[in-house]
Amino acid sequence: MDHPRELTVEAPRAWDRPVVSVPVLICLSLVGGQLPSFSTAANLYILTTGGGLIWVGLNNRVPRRPAPRRLPSVALWWLVPVTVFGVFEGATFVMAAGDDFPTFSRLADPLLEDNLARSAAWFAWLSAFWGLVRR
Amino acid sequence: MMRALAIGGFAVSIVLFAVVEWAARREGSGIPSLADICAFVMRYEVGPVPVGRIGLFGFWWWLGWHFLAR
Repeated sequence: MDHPRELTVEAPRAWDRPVVSVPVLICLSLVGGQLPSFSTAANLYILTTGGGLIWVGLNNRVPRRPAPRRLPSVALWWLVPVTVFGVFEGATFVMAAGDDFPTFSRLADPLLEDNLARSAAWFAWLSAFWGLVRR
Repeated sequence: MMRALAIGGFAVSIVLFAVVEWAARREGSGIPSLADICAFVMRYEVGPVPVGRIGLFGFWWWLGWHFLAR
């Protein structure tokens, strides 16, 4: 018997469930957090993980959530934080005053020297990337 | 003084990101979430090429490389 299309839900694949994907992302993040900046290992690791996610995201193997066809005008509210960030990042970058007027990444560098904070940053980056892949 | 200004400016922008996202997630809100904005950008295609998808993936990969590998 045929069911109406809107009543059918595709069963998520095993690896697409949070109980699988979250531990995998945690493991990848813990490894990434051990790799120091400017090391060959860190570059190769981010090339591999990022490249793998891009490959998955450009294939049609992962089910995607529906995207909005158009954005309402209230979406312009997003320009407020983007503009504030852009003004400060642009000003600090152009003035190139080092620690006296630091860019965002210069401020983040000391925080990311700690392995646990680095792993947390890895987890945030990978989780957001996984979210993008499924969009 | 200038250092405090930079830290304050970036902190304000992060708080603003959180506020707009919070407003977007409220019941009945018309503001799209950041994920919806990204999904909309990723819909953009030129012919068969998913330019929006490639662009956003590339930007996110570069961001990770910039902060975590160098």
